[in-house]
Amino acid sequence: MDYPIWDLALGGGVLIGIVAIAHVVVSHFAVGGGLAIALLETLAVRRGDGALRQLAYRGSWMLILVSTVFGAITGVGIWFTIGLIHPTATSSLIRTFVWGWAIEWVFFILEVTTAVAYVATWNKVRPRTHLLLIWLYAFAAFMSLVVIQGIISYMLTPGKWLETQAFWDGIWNPTYVPGLVLRTGICFFMAGAYLAFAALREQDAGARGRLVRLMAVFQVVGVLVTYGGYRWWEVALPESIRALFLGASPKLAALAATRSFLLWALAAYLVLVLFALIAPRVQRWPVTAVALIAAFAFFGGYERLREGARKPYIISDYMFSNGVLVSDIERHNREGILAHARWAARDDDGSLEGKGRAVFRAQCASCHTLDGYLSIRKLLATADADTVNVILEIMHEQGNAYTGGSVPERTALDYPVMPPFVGTAEERRALGVYLATLIPAHVAEVRHGK
Amino acid sequence: MASSELIPALDPMPVPGPLWLFHVLWVVTFFIHILLVNAVLGGSVIAAWAGTAKPGRRSVVELLLTLNTWAIPLSITFGIAPLLFVQVVLGRFFYTAALLVPGWWLGLLGLLMVGYYLNYLAKWRLAKGGAVGHWLVLQAICFLLVALIQVVVNLLHMQPERWASAAESVVAALRDPTLLPRFLHFLLAALAMVGGVVAWVAVRRVSGAPAGGRAELDAMARFGVKFALYATLLQLIDGFWLLFALPEEVLKAFMRSGPVAMIPLTLGILAGVVLLVVLAQVHDPLAQGTKVRRALELVVGATAVMVITRHQVREIYLAPARAAEELVTTAPWGLIALFLVIFVAGVAATVYAMVRAATDRPAAGEQAA
Repeated sequence: MDYPIWDLALGGGVLIGIVAIAHVVVSHFAVGGGLAIALLETLAVRRGDGALRQLAYRGSWMLILVSTVFGAITGVGIWFTIGLIHPTATSSLIRTFVWGWAIEWVFFILEVTTAVAYVATWNKVRPRTHLLLIWLYAFAAFMSLVVIQGIISYMLTPGKWLETQAFWDGIWNPTYVPGLVLRTGICFFMAGAYLAFAALREQDAGARGRLVRLMAVFQVVGVLVTYGGYRWWEVALPESIRALFLGASPKLAALAATRSFLLWALAAYLVLVLFALIAPRVQRWPVTAVALIAAFAFFGGYERLREGARKPYIISDYMFSNGVLVSDIERHNREGILAHARWAARDDDGSLEGKGRAVFRAQCASCHTLDGYLSIRKLLATADADTVNVILEIMHEQGNAYTGGSVPERTALDYPVMPPFVGTAEERRALGVYLATLIPAHVAEVRHGK
Repeated sequence: MASSELIPALDPMPVPGPLWLFHVLWVVTFFIHILLVNAVLGGSVIAAWAGTAKPGRRSVVELLLTLNTWAIPLSITFGIAPLLFVQVVLGRFFYTAALLVPGWWLGLLGLLMVGYYLNYLAKWRLAKGGAVGHWLVLQAICFLLVALIQVVVNLLHMQPERWASAAESVVAALRDPTLLPRFLHFLLAALAMVGGVVAWVAVRRVSGAPAGGRAELDAMARFGVKFALYATLLQLIDGFWLLFALPEEVLKAFMRSGPVAMIPLTLGILAGVVLLVVLAQVHDPLAQGTKVRRALELVVGATAVMVITRHQVREIYLAPARAAEELVTTAPWGLIALFLVIFVAGVAATVYAMVRAATDRPAAGEQAA
């Protein structure tokens, strides 16, 4: 809100979504894959099993090329992206959790060095040293998940942190442990789903069947742990959030639909991996690919659900998605939003329309673009100036529900995924004038004629 | 609107620790990061040079591709810590600077990824005997652009008075008299360091090399020393260019900062001069291994003190904009202690694993992993 605004037609939320999903599907493999490869090589050494060793070898190259290259860069990419789209929220997260991230960084160092060393020392060191490297990697990778899960889950359920603003209250939030169980399950099945492709490259048919079955075991275990974790996560959510995607609000039907979608995707995935478990010898890559897509569908659906359930906040009950603090609503209503949005205020040329444009950029532009994602022009296509003003009035009134230390039930709000309008009456009027200029001319004429 | 009025408000959350600690951690982790960045930047440029300019430098290219296999992921990972600490202390300046050139800032990640994958691609092609010159040039361009973007954002975050014009045009974001000397300062340091590394590796390899391999190692060492020498010579000129290109008020304030600022600067310049002398004395690098090692130590030492100088100059740049800043701090010592314990344990585990990986070899008749 108080920073320069990046006009991105794609939409800031979509960009974050792309980078974040690209990262999580890789990073969860980085965690689960480490554990899987460690187990594979341990078994290979104990049994003297060449096929298992080959699978661990192929998997280690997948790990290095997918996880340490793509995973590491997209991980930094999330920081870069959220810093550009939500600098206020990023700053708040950094101030709250810098030591958590610093601890996670230590695990990253161990993770990256052992991963590169592991791949570089095939056929060079004794098996014991090689196993030490991969087990250290697996430990470090899992610990990085243990830390980051605290920060991710905090954003949805900050719990006692809202009162104390204490680091540990933020980390040990209500959905931390269930979410960690869920993500651990995801790590397992992602490892199995990726490594199943490496297993299929085994030339010996008998050995291939064995490897495929082993990877199917990983995935079945992962799916079951994930399902248990998911159900626990749902139970741990505050009732007001759970109600959202259990269909309590007809205005939030998309969330309920996402929940159904992800559970069906998980069920379909389970069927596919059970097939691989029962008949590993007939397994072929197209089925493995469909299973991977089903795994992605569940995971993507879960992340979408988690993000969607958080709206209109970026940090639940603390900061709205446009960077306005819940505690600042009254102040902004009194002093005006533009008094606290230096960069957006540059668009205020003194006219009512100019002020409205500035207010739009301060409060709306973090989610709405003019013509791209969540295009405000498209959303206004069937509205007229009077309707716009009524909507703004309702959104302003909605802000009152947040004041006085209370947080309203989202199902009771007219615009449950939108932050309230904050600002002076003049700023509201100016925003109305500006938004009216975005209504397509033919609509405005028809409305005026009526 | 005056530029100073464009500085976003302070984050209402307190800084979670004493400021001095964040500054120390920031400088220390940045030092490690910049050494690795030097390896990547200098390594990719020298590899491109060696891979295209003259045939017969295969061993140099091989070495640098292997070096970058480690240096690229480690430089990214070690970059996380200073990125964290700059956000804690100067978040509102840093985010604004990145937002003035958002496409570039995000594009940096794409360049990093392409450069990283090109390293593996070139390594594989080289192992199969294929030509890699054009891949190496492309990789070097990627990392040079990454360095340029970093310098642009760094300069912007220190100068809020340039924000209004930079917001109007990208060209204005580049219009800074210190941009070119600063960029060259990093590049030349990287070339000098990696030149030294190439020579030092050749010196180390000579004891176990077969008789016929000595000539190749000699060529490799001379190549490295020559690169380090020319880069250091240019660095001395560029260093003074950068110093005198600083805004007048910054230069004056820096010169008046007393021994705290003058000692690191003087040490840095001295290290550069001594480095030049040492490199000029190396006529037969394989026979003068100690001098080669000394040169490498001087590069690392000069980098260390220059990192301190860089930090001090930043403080001076930002002093007017931060004059009224009242940062509230807390001191969660238990949490800080936990970080330090994990840090020490993590570094110990990493070092132990690396030493084991480098030294453990199967005995005769024993099977390797």
